Amino acid sequence: MSDPSPKKIFSLSQVAASIKKTIAERYSSAFWVKAEMNKLNHYSHSGHCYPDLVEKSEGKIIAEMRSVLWKGDYQNINQRFLNVLQEPLKDGISVLMLVSISFDAVYGISLRIIDIDPSFSLGELTREKQETINRLKQEQLFDNNRKVSFPLLPKRLAIVSVETSKGLADFLKIIRNNHWGYAFEHQLFPALLQGDKAVISILAQLTLIKENHLNFDAVALIRGGGGDVGLSCYNNYKLAKELANFPLPVLTGIGHSTNETVCEMVAFKNAITPSELADFLIQRFHEFAVSVIEAETFLTTRIPSYISEKKIEIHQLIRQFQLASHNLLRAQATELTMMQNSLKMLVRQTFQTEKNALKSAEQQVNLLHPDNVLKRGFSINYQKGKLIKSLDDIDTEEELIIQFYDGEVISSIKQLKKNSNG
Amino acid sequence: MDKINYEGAFEELKNIITHLERGDIAVDELAEKVKRAAQLIELCKTKLTATEEEVNKVIASMEV
Repeated sequence: MSDPSPKKIFSLSQVAASIKKTIAERYSSAFWVKAEMNKLNHYSHSGHCYPDLVEKSEGKIIAEMRSVLWKGDYQNINQRFLNVLQEPLKDGISVLMLVSISFDAVYGISLRIIDIDPSFSLGELTREKQETINRLKQEQLFDNNRKVSFPLLPKRLAIVSVETSKGLADFLKIIRNNHWGYAFEHQLFPALLQGDKAVISILAQLTLIKENHLNFDAVALIRGGGGDVGLSCYNNYKLAKELANFPLPVLTGIGHSTNETVCEMVAFKNAITPSELADFLIQRFHEFAVSVIEAETFLTTRIPSYISEKKIEIHQLIRQFQLASHNLLRAQATELTMMQNSLKMLVRQTFQTEKNALKSAEQQVNLLHPDNVLKRGFSINYQKGKLIKSLDDIDTEEELIIQFYDGEVISSIKQLKKNSNG
Repeated sequence: MDKINYEGAFEELKNIITHLERGDIAVDELAEKVKRAAQLIELCKTKLTATEEEVNKVIASMEV
């Protein structure tokens, strides 16, 4: 079991020195690397950071390396991040960094971060924000909260904020001291309002509010006095989606001077500052109060005159109706009287006609009466009570009675003398 | 007779008068027709008066 060739044995430090030399030769200059900073690992007592760098593909980590960011570099980079991104250097962002590779005999291989380009991370943040917007629009959630009906009086407010927030203090001061005396009720749901933990913290409070949403008229998200740093949480998809889909109108008063975040875009109403949000709510109360006052004025002044106008109209209508029905009845009565009169007249006329006819008949009868005939000089001859109209009827032996209008002659016949033409 | 309405009574009345005007009512019928006409006139007058009273009552109730 012996080996003929003598063994060359290295000490561990010799190996380390060799690796260090090789790496130093191979990676003589610094170079740019793109990665995701999974954890910043900032140690506040030393001021140094030991970021965990990863690269993911389809959600799986395909590369992972430790790195080091010395205190001086960290402070310098962090300041530039704050200036450019309004965000500190933090966990979970994509970074483009200038690194050098070093090997240490004790700590092994590590990347030393010399610089990080904030504009690359800014682009990433902008891209993430745009992705949130696009996704909400694609899912047709973007305008949902603005479709929620706003209460006539937004009186009961669920406020998501922190007790110590200057913005909340400003907001409450304006709400409480409004000189019309409008009374608001509010309940505070404390949450972190910026930075990495804000999303989870706000979502937890929104869940509580949602469970009791019938007790509230609106949700107000109030922040202020914290500067413009750490607001990228308001571009988070999950948070923006929750606000867009919220059953109550969401009012935001986040208080910053940078571009509108997605949460503010989807809110029912975005006020630039908490104070402006307070003014908005008071304005809503005011609009309602004004219309109530107007209605009251209308009721007390306009209604009585309106009623009396209508009364006059009705009186006129009754008068018209009265006149029309009277006229109709009178016309009918007149017609009836006329008919009665013409009936009388016609009856009289009919009688007159009949009487006249009767009279002329009477006259005719009278004219033909034998007495009247006798009076005109005619006489009537009888024999034995029989009327004699012809000589042929005469019995010469019998006495002839000649009747005059004033008496009779009883005569005897001497001779009959017939007319030659008879 | 009592079942007849104003319209019917008025029509009958007009009819009698038309016949009288034309002189085609026999004397035998005359008395009967005139009696009927007088009845109809009375009926119409009664109905008219009753209607007027009723209308006046309704109008009075409308006065506020």
